Amino acid sequence: MAAEMATAVDVGMSVEAIKASQMGMKALGAGVAVGLTGVGTGVAEMGIGSAAVGAVAENKDMFGLALLFTVIPETIVIFGLVVGLLILFL
Amino acid sequence: MLKPRQMSHLFITGSKNQMEPVIQELYCQNVFHIEEFVEQTMEGYEGVKIGTPLPGASEASSKLIRIRSIENTFGVKLEDVEPQKRVPVQQLRETIDTKLSAIVSEVEQIQAKKSKCEAAVKDLEQKINELKPFAAVPIPLEMYSGYQNIAVFTGRISKNPDLTVPNETYFSHAKEGNFIAVFAPAEHSEKVQLGLLQANFVAVPVPRGEGLPQDLLNLYTEQIAVHKKEVALIQEHLEAMKKEQIEFLAASEELLSADVEKAEAPLRFATTKEAFLAEGWVPIDRVDAVRDALVNATGGKITVTVLPTDLDHDAVPVEYNNPSFVKPMQVLIDVFNRPRYSEIDPTLTVSIVFPIFFGLIVGDVGYGLILLAMAFGLRKFFKGEEGQQLLAVLRNASISTIIFGLLYSEFLGFPIPGLKPTMPSRHLMAESAAEGGAAAGHGPMIPELMVMSIWIGILHITLGRIFGMINHARQDHGEHRIKAVLANFGWLAVMWGILIAIWSIAALPLMPDLTGLPAVVSVVNLAGVVGAVLIVIGVVFIARDSVLEVVEIPTIISHVLSYARIVAVGLSSVAIAMVVNFIAIGMFIEPQLKNFSTFSIFIIIAGLIIFLSGHALNTALAILGGGLHSIRLHYVEFFTKFYKGGGKKYMPFGMKRRFTEN
Repeated sequence: MAAEMATAVDVGMSVEAIKASQMGMKALGAGVAVGLTGVGTGVAEMGIGSAAVGAVAENKDMFGLALLFTVIPETIVIFGLVVGLLILFL
Repeated sequence: MLKPRQMSHLFITGSKNQMEPVIQELYCQNVFHIEEFVEQTMEGYEGVKIGTPLPGASEASSKLIRIRSIENTFGVKLEDVEPQKRVPVQQLRETIDTKLSAIVSEVEQIQAKKSKCEAAVKDLEQKINELKPFAAVPIPLEMYSGYQNIAVFTGRISKNPDLTVPNETYFSHAKEGNFIAVFAPAEHSEKVQLGLLQANFVAVPVPRGEGLPQDLLNLYTEQIAVHKKEVALIQEHLEAMKKEQIEFLAASEELLSADVEKAEAPLRFATTKEAFLAEGWVPIDRVDAVRDALVNATGGKITVTVLPTDLDHDAVPVEYNNPSFVKPMQVLIDVFNRPRYSEIDPTLTVSIVFPIFFGLIVGDVGYGLILLAMAFGLRKFFKGEEGQQLLAVLRNASISTIIFGLLYSEFLGFPIPGLKPTMPSRHLMAESAAEGGAAAGHGPMIPELMVMSIWIGILHITLGRIFGMINHARQDHGEHRIKAVLANFGWLAVMWGILIAIWSIAALPLMPDLTGLPAVVSVVNLAGVVGAVLIVIGVVFIARDSVLEVVEIPTIISHVLSYARIVAVGLSSVAIAMVVNFIAIGMFIEPQLKNFSTFSIFIIIAGLIIFLSGHALNTALAILGGGLHSIRLHYVEFFTKFYKGGGKKYMPFGMKRRFTEN
C-alpha cells in the first residue's frame, strides 16, 4: 500500500489527473478504432467500387448486385464504430 | 403474399387464318405472356418455323417512325405527356393519314426554314471571323487588290518589321495577335517577303467584299440578329404547334405501336404451312376468361390447352402478388433481382422490416416529419411509376421514424420535454435534472442498444434461414433436398448454440441469464452443454451438405454483429444533430440573447443558418445512412440465407391505353 502511494506521488499526478488521462487514452483508442477501420473500408471499397461502376455502365441491371458488393466492406468500419462506442461508454 | 402470382401454361393452336382474331383478342385481354418460339432442328420440329408478320406491319411502322421523328423535333416523349381525354380509335383511324401527312409537311417546311436561318447565321459568323483582323485597318476591302505594280501583304506578325524598301504599312497591335498590311512596289516584293518572314509573318487572305471592314462587320452583326430573331419566331411557332398537336401525336403513337406490336406477334409464334401454335403464360384465375374469349372470337375454330407446369425446366414469368401496402417495396426487390417462380417472394417481409430498420436508425420525430413532407412534396416531380414507389417507401419509412422518434424521445437531436424514452436512450450527453432533460441521469445506454440490435439480427437471420429451408424443400429433389434443408437447420443450430453458450458464461442485459444453472461438466453448466451439442449438430449438418461451407461458419458472428450498424449509424446521426444544436444554439444564439446588442442580430442569424444547414445535411445523411444500411441488411445479411432471384418478368402481350379508347 505504502509502495503504491509512493509510486503515485513519484509520478506527480493526482487521482483526478489520472482519471482524465485514462479518459483521454480511451478517446484516442476510440478514434484509432474508427479511423483505421474507416481507412480499411475505404481501401477495400476502392477496388470494388471502380469495378462496380464499370459493370453498371456496361449493364444497368447489375446495379443491385454492384451496390451489394460495394457495401460489403462497410461492415469493417461498423465494427470499428462499435468498438469505439464500447471503449467510450462501457 | 410470399408467393408470386400463380401461372398456367397455355398452348393455343389453330389454322393460320384464325391467327389475326386470336392476336386481337389476346391483345385486348392483356394477360398472355408470350413464350417466344425459337426455331429448332430437333426431331419433331420439322416444318415448324416462326411466323411472318401480318399485312400492314411495315406501313404502320413507317408511320410510327414519322410520328416519332416529329415528336423528336418537338422534344417530347410519350411518357411525359399527360393524357387529357381519350380519342376513339375509329375516329383516329379515319383522320390519321391526312392529318399526319399535313403535320409532317408543315413540320418539314418549318424545319427547313429553321436550318436555313441557322446555316446563314453560321456563314455570317464565319465571315465576321475572317473580317475581324482587317477592322483595325481603315482601308476599304476593294483597295487590297487590283494593282499592277504594287504587291499587297496581309497577315499576322509578331512585331512591326523593319523593311528596307519603300512601302506603306498599317500595323495594329492586338491581344490575339498583331496584324499588318503592307503595300510595296511589286519589284521589291521578295525583299519585303524576306523582311516579313523574319518577323514570323503568317499570311491572312483578304476576305471578299466591298467597303470598310468595320461597316461590313456592323452589317453582318445586324443580319445575324435578324436571323436569330427569325429562328426564335420559328421556335415559338413550333411550340404553338406542339401544344396543338401533341394530343393527336400521342394518341396516334399509341394506336400505331399497338398495331405494330399486333402485326409482329406472329414473329413470336410457331407456324407450319397451315397452322399456328402460340405458347405462353396466363395467371391461373384468368385462364377460363381467356379461353372463353378466344373461343368466342374465333367461333370455336381453335383449341386452347393448359399444359402442366414443370418447375424445373419451364421459365415461368413472375408477377408479384402482394397487397397494396407492400407494392412500393417491389421496386427495391427488383433492384436486387426479381424472385424466381418457385421461391418465396420476400417483398412482404422486407416491406415490414425495412421501415422498422429505417426508424430504428434515424428515430427522430423532427427528421421523420421533414422526410414525410418530402415524400409528399416530391410526388409532383417524380412522374414515373418507380419514382412514385420509392416515395411511398420513403413515406412508410418516415412514419416509422416518427414512431421510433417518440420511443427514443428525440426531436432534431433534442430530448422531447416531458417524454421519457421508452427505448434505451441514445442521447450522448448526460443531462442534469436541473436542465429539465427527459433523459436526465445517464448518457446513451450503449450495452442495451447493442444487445437490442443483436437480437434483431438473430431474429432476422433466423427468419431468413427458415425461408431457406422452405425454398430448398420446394425446389430440390431426393437426397439433396433433405441435406439442403438440414444444412439450413445446421446454420440455425450453430447460431443459437453459440448464443446459448454465451448466455451460460455471461449475464447480458436484455438476454436470459443462464449462468446460474447447475454445473454439469466441471465449470460448464447445462446451458453450456446444450449450446455445445447444438453447435456440433449444426456443423455436422452443414458439412453433410458441403464440407467447404464449414469454412464460412465465422460469418454467423460477423453477420449478426453487422446488425450493430442499426445502433452505430443511428448514434452517429444523433451525434451530428447534437453537435449542430450545440454550435448553433449553445455557441451562437444563447450567449447573444443573454447580452443582447444590435450586433447580436447578425450572430443570431448566423446561428440560425448553421442550425438549418446542419440539420439539412443530417437529413440527407439520414436518408442515405438509414436507407442504404437498412436495405443492405436485407440484401447481404437476409437474402443470402435463402434468396436467389433471377425470375423472368411477367410481360403480358397488350398495352395499358392512356390516350385512346374503343
